[in-house]
Amino acid sequence: MPVSLRRVTVFVLALLPLIYLLQAVIRIQHGEWNLLGPEPGRAIVFFTGTWAFNLMLATLAVSPAAKHTGWRWLLQHRRMLGLFTFFYASLHLLAYSALLLEWRWLEISQELIERPYLTFGMLSWLILLPLALTSTKGWQRRLKRRWKSLHKWSYPAAALMAVHYLLQIRSSWFEPVFYTILVLALLGLRRWSLLPASKERLSAE
Amino acid sequence: KQVSSAKPFTGETKEALTPYDNVTGYNNFYEFGTDKSDPARYAHKLTTDPWSVTVSGECENSGTFALEDLLAKVQLEERVYRLRCVEAWSMVIPWIGFPLAQLIKQCQPNSRAKYVAFETLQRPKEMPGQRSVFSTIDWPYIEGLRMDEAMNDLTLMAVGLYGEMLPNQNGAPIRLVVPWKYGFKSIKSIVRIHFSETMPATTWNLLAPNEYGFYANVNPNVDHPRWSQASERRLPSSLFSPNRIPTQMFNGYQQQVAHLYKDMDLERYY
Repeated sequence: MPVSLRRVTVFVLALLPLIYLLQAVIRIQHGEWNLLGPEPGRAIVFFTGTWAFNLMLATLAVSPAAKHTGWRWLLQHRRMLGLFTFFYASLHLLAYSALLLEWRWLEISQELIERPYLTFGMLSWLILLPLALTSTKGWQRRLKRRWKSLHKWSYPAAALMAVHYLLQIRSSWFEPVFYTILVLALLGLRRWSLLPASKERLSAE
Repeated sequence: KQVSSAKPFTGETKEALTPYDNVTGYNNFYEFGTDKSDPARYAHKLTTDPWSVTVSGECENSGTFALEDLLAKVQLEERVYRLRCVEAWSMVIPWIGFPLAQLIKQCQPNSRAKYVAFETLQRPKEMPGQRSVFSTIDWPYIEGLRMDEAMNDLTLMAVGLYGEMLPNQNGAPIRLVVPWKYGFKSIKSIVRIHFSETMPATTWNLLAPNEYGFYANVNPNVDHPRWSQASERRLPSSLFSPNRIPTQMFNGYQQQVAHLYKDMDLERYY
């Protein structure tokens, strides 16, 4: 498959959760008020958060997958997956602020400071922000070698997502623990390249 | 089924009722799963007839009683109560039931009975949540009240809602409703009532004592460690508005219950 066709495929696949969400919102506005249950805002916050995490895991899986399968073309899609991670994380933050707290800034800031699980989620998004901004070829050229070390901040961003999820456990721990194990596994696979002195085994695109 | 008010009742709310679909489709009943739609999905498998309740402990009239025999001696009435979940959402529900005090009088507790404890059915065959290896709850679910709380006129044993028999996902065939406390105190599908001299253990308090106290009175001034209790989302929320309203002390039932706690530090006994 030519790279452009693969790119379109990845783009459409990563857009499916948003398309699902949009059709749900339209149906709710057209009378199916109970489609997402009595707390549609909360359902949307949870849905977008889950997909931000799913795409984070997919992004982190690209380079180990390329290495183990030898399919180096996989690396051509990592940037788009990373940008979709940021996109869903931003929707998540937006939905939380707009649908749950109705843009009450004072309350939003208080909550972010007082509730550790929210603090960790926010920190994760704050890390993703400069990574998304510098994801272009232009910035890659400008930052040269520093670009790579900058984008390794996606590892702590993923770890913070796991903490954000773990801190919300009430009694059912399966999903948060499952996601955390995946994060630890994906970060564990690259433990050597996390050490500053080690050489890059796999060069980025 | 006879529904009548024996005496004028002062706790009635005039607020809009939460729609039936939400009352019966959005439940925390972990015996059937942790997702709020799980109880409605799985609770139909529960057998609620025959049903018996075992009464034990510090009382004269202990033993195991068929539910219909217990209900024969009480008078059912409809009561519209606010229900405030500890997760900061709330509903308004028209219950059908009778004051717990009527049942307690049948049991004739003795002078040593300071607390009354309740237990939910444990039947993993019909309750998938009890079979889950991912749950940290030690089944069966247990709850309890101080005797004066249990005898308060607001404290209801419900057997129905919206004019019909209690749906399984709402705690059929008989459950507790304590409207001034967070919802988890209102234990469902009760099979055992035990009178004791000492404070009984309760499920959520055992799981996370810093988050859930024995009393669990609705209190806007004492936050849950992970979220504020100052306001609540009155369900149903609409898409662009969570329908948030301020939370009232004792869920708005101060007149009826504040005297029960007049010398207590509610920050400490949350």
